[in-house]
Amino acid sequence: MIDANGATAAAQSAAERAARGFESLLDRGRIRAPQGREAGVLGAVLEPESVAEISEIIRKCEAESISLAPVGAARTLAQMRSRPVALGVSLERMRQVIAYEPEDMTVVAQAGLTLGELNRLMEQNRQHLPVDPPAPGLTTLGAMVSAAKAGPLRLSEGRVRDLLIGLQFVGHGGRVARGGGRVVKNVAGYDLMKVMTGSFGTLGIITETIFKVRPLPELAELAVAPFDTAEPAFGVAAALHDALPLLHLEVLSAGFGREFGYPQKCLLFAAFGGNQVELDYQRSAIECKLGGKFAVLAGAPASEAYARLRDLEMADAALAAQLAVLPAELCRGLLSCRAEYVAYAGCGVARLFARAPEGANEAAQIVAHWREIARQARGHARLTALPPALRSAGPAFFDQVNEGSMKLMARAKKSFDPAGIFNPGCFVGAL
Amino acid sequence: MDLTQQSGGLPRTGSANGAALSSGLREELTEIVGREGLIHRASELRVYECDGWTVEKSAPELLVLPDSTAQVSAVLEALHRRQVPFVPRGAGTGLSGGSLPLKAPVMVCTSRMNRIVSIDYANRRVEVESGVVNLHVSNAVKAAGLFYAPDPSSQAACTVGGNVAENSGGPHTLKYGVTTNHVLGLEIVLPDGEVVELGGPTEEVCGYDLVGAVVGSEGTTGIVTRAVLKLVREPQSHRTFLAIFADVEGATRAVSAIIAAGVIPGAIEMMDQLIIEAVEAAFHVGLPRDAGAVLIIEIDGLAAGMDQRAEQVKAIVGGNGAKEVRVARDETERAALWKARKRAFGAVGRLAPNYATQDGVVPRTRLPQILREISAASQRHQLRIGNVFHAGDGNIHPIVLYDERDPDQVRRAVEAGRDILKACVALGGSLSGEHGIGAEKMHEMPLLFSPDDLMVMSDLRRVFDPAERSNPNKVIPMPGACVEVAAPRRQVPV
Ligand SMILES: Cc1cc2nc3c(=O)[nH]c(=O)nc-3n(C[C@H](O)[C@H](O)[C@H](O)COP(=O)(O)OP(=O)(O)OC[C@H]3O[C@@H](n4cnc5c(N)ncnc54)[C@H](O)[C@@H]3O)c2cc1C
Repeated sequence: MIDANGATAAAQSAAERAARGFESLLDRGRIRAPQGREAGVLGAVLEPESVAEISEIIRKCEAESISLAPVGAARTLAQMRSRPVALGVSLERMRQVIAYEPEDMTVVAQAGLTLGELNRLMEQNRQHLPVDPPAPGLTTLGAMVSAAKAGPLRLSEGRVRDLLIGLQFVGHGGRVARGGGRVVKNVAGYDLMKVMTGSFGTLGIITETIFKVRPLPELAELAVAPFDTAEPAFGVAAALHDALPLLHLEVLSAGFGREFGYPQKCLLFAAFGGNQVELDYQRSAIECKLGGKFAVLAGAPASEAYARLRDLEMADAALAAQLAVLPAELCRGLLSCRAEYVAYAGCGVARLFARAPEGANEAAQIVAHWREIARQARGHARLTALPPALRSAGPAFFDQVNEGSMKLMARAKKSFDPAGIFNPGCFVGAL
Repeated sequence: MDLTQQSGGLPRTGSANGAALSSGLREELTEIVGREGLIHRASELRVYECDGWTVEKSAPELLVLPDSTAQVSAVLEALHRRQVPFVPRGAGTGLSGGSLPLKAPVMVCTSRMNRIVSIDYANRRVEVESGVVNLHVSNAVKAAGLFYAPDPSSQAACTVGGNVAENSGGPHTLKYGVTTNHVLGLEIVLPDGEVVELGGPTEEVCGYDLVGAVVGSEGTTGIVTRAVLKLVREPQSHRTFLAIFADVEGATRAVSAIIAAGVIPGAIEMMDQLIIEAVEAAFHVGLPRDAGAVLIIEIDGLAAGMDQRAEQVKAIVGGNGAKEVRVARDETERAALWKARKRAFGAVGRLAPNYATQDGVVPRTRLPQILREISAASQRHQLRIGNVFHAGDGNIHPIVLYDERDPDQVRRAVEAGRDILKACVALGGSLSGEHGIGAEKMHEMPLLFSPDDLMVMSDLRRVFDPAERSNPNKVIPMPGACVEVAAPRRQVPV
């Protein structure tokens, strides 16, 4: 197995040698050195053009025990691997929209297409795929599914698992498998979509995705309210969530206030939509709860604020995590989390960010603290960023799961990836 | 002992599964569940010889009714030691022969596990045992303005465990999603008796989405004993319409037009003339007997803006050929419409001794074509076929009427169903929208999936059930394994 302990020179050259072995499959222009964020890849990034080529690549990797990982923009991969894989497989050249049926509200697209491109195409029909992780322009559909990425709209539209109605992937033995189909309701066969969603490239390479799409709201506005402390913001958020069918609803810690022109203020965002009467009603309901202390954005300023909110990252965060707990427990957990956060109120999910810790010890303490918060609220925390220096000795990216689940997950991994080549060693239980 | 190798030719209708169970097993199971938890008399077991798919019948040799997870675990452990296959059963309302025992001599029924374990209003979660009846969940939280969204028409009888196994839908799943969108956590007893908790009460899972893999697995991954479900807030208001059309084509065009306008109603259901007749004869709700088709359209949401939405829907429907659009004036009228819809299958029961409900799906815009195919199949096979279905999802339910006393009618009913499914697949659709593949459609799976697809799916199933003892011979056709037992009453293609 080429899976170097750090990028030692020997491992590097072994990986490069292995990459050259693919010259019989792909012309040289489609075998390139890893660049930028592709630090999780040691040898080379391959750019296949077809499912058949991916099958060949996988067969060769299995025969020669070469580890590989599918890469989109490689942001997730770079963040989660403590040791690089030998090969990256980029779907850069597989980015076609295969079928978009506006009237059936379904779309079939290759996994290399970005979410941003897909949504630009559908906008002309006033439709969208309402999954909105940060940076849609960098998020390939394959990465979005593999990492189960989500954003503000999860509150009203659900997540990848609710919208993905079919997929194709290439797995063990180069086998091409499909699940689901092009219809919005379908129970024929086992739900391969669910198993692949959030599998982080550990079961195979997703090549095609099929989604149901949704209408854009007729009209939408975004209310922003500043608070001195977080607790009342969460209180209002809970009341609004109970009263209105909001599009999305967030509470931001004070460190993010400046981004929106409210330095050192906690912010509450509440987006609402519908026809004019629905809009007016919701605006005044929000006004009632907030008592004048808020701004309502519409049109371009609303879209800009939404995009900034969606894309929010803490630039100098060395440590980041996704916390998932019972919704009513979210506020309490975050009050003690000693981190900046974007909280998806109503969903019980938050993204946490902490600045560079002093060393492995402090990082481990912070992570242990987050995990304890999660445990107390019957949830878990998944790391989404950890400084490279801390990775090999540091905490695992994923929480532990119970013994029974772990056994099943290990069996799933073994069954789908008996040769252990797909993004090995960095998933739950080091799968 | 490998039961799949054991049978000596065709089993008889009404009896079981080719395996003589040792009396030791019966005693052991009796010790676990008590005398009241075990049924072994053939006369009593006949009740369990089929579900709502009555074309095939085969009773189990033993029925076990455990009362707790611990009992389920002990029962499965005992079966595991003897390598005896079993079939899980909830209320037996399934429509694809899911709980039909096929070389599974023991049936494990969850009907005694019907407790609502806990309700968490603040987080909108409820934890229930798998034998809880679907409607009882919504009833239990109604006072707090909440409901459990998946609402199969059988909801007064079917169980949450059955819903989980089939990934059931219902009229309101057009807007609110099907079972899989509302299940967060499961407790499952694996076929070797091990109890495992999957997922949990939070929205994100850690690791593979095993809950998602079990939902819709049709009882082939073990026995689900508990589920953590999401609850949904009741919308402020509803508006329910009855739109009357001269023919089904017009009605289907209206369905597409509503959705294309960006309106997602709570539900859009269609009934054709045969069904209207049957429902009127049974319930007298005032449906127009001369109509070619009606749509029940329900929109819901904020009270503010509802009038505008209602006008919009009326205009679209009117513009697409509705002869008349009636609005339910109050909760009583609304309830009457929904009662008519949800009991339509029962009403059809009066038209013929037997009926088989199909469950194909097509892309919504292909509804006109599939309805033409259905009517062609009806003529070709000389059988009456009614249509009452979830039009907004493109999920058809042709109801094929037949008389089981006439073997030729049975054969024609099965063939008509198969023709319709083939047409669904040809139109880019699927074999099942919500009733599952079960025993009924297993042999049609290769129409939709390649051998590799099916192999990967089998791999996934074996993660949970390596020996394939939980509900064997369902969903995925195993070459050579089950063909000769599949159908006491029909010919199965080899
Ligand atoms: C009149 C009528 C209307 C219907 N309308 C709808 C509808 O609108 N939408 C819809 O989706 N379906 C509908 N159905 C079909 C049926 O009601 C659903 O499939 C329902 O979910 C079955 O539940 P059940 O408890 O009756 O399960 P059963 O029929 O007993 O079993 C169904 C399957 O689930 C498995 N199973 C049951 N319990 C468990 C468990 N605890 N663990 C593991 N596996 C289990 C069984 O092995 C079997 O494979 C309708 C049926 C009828 C008769």
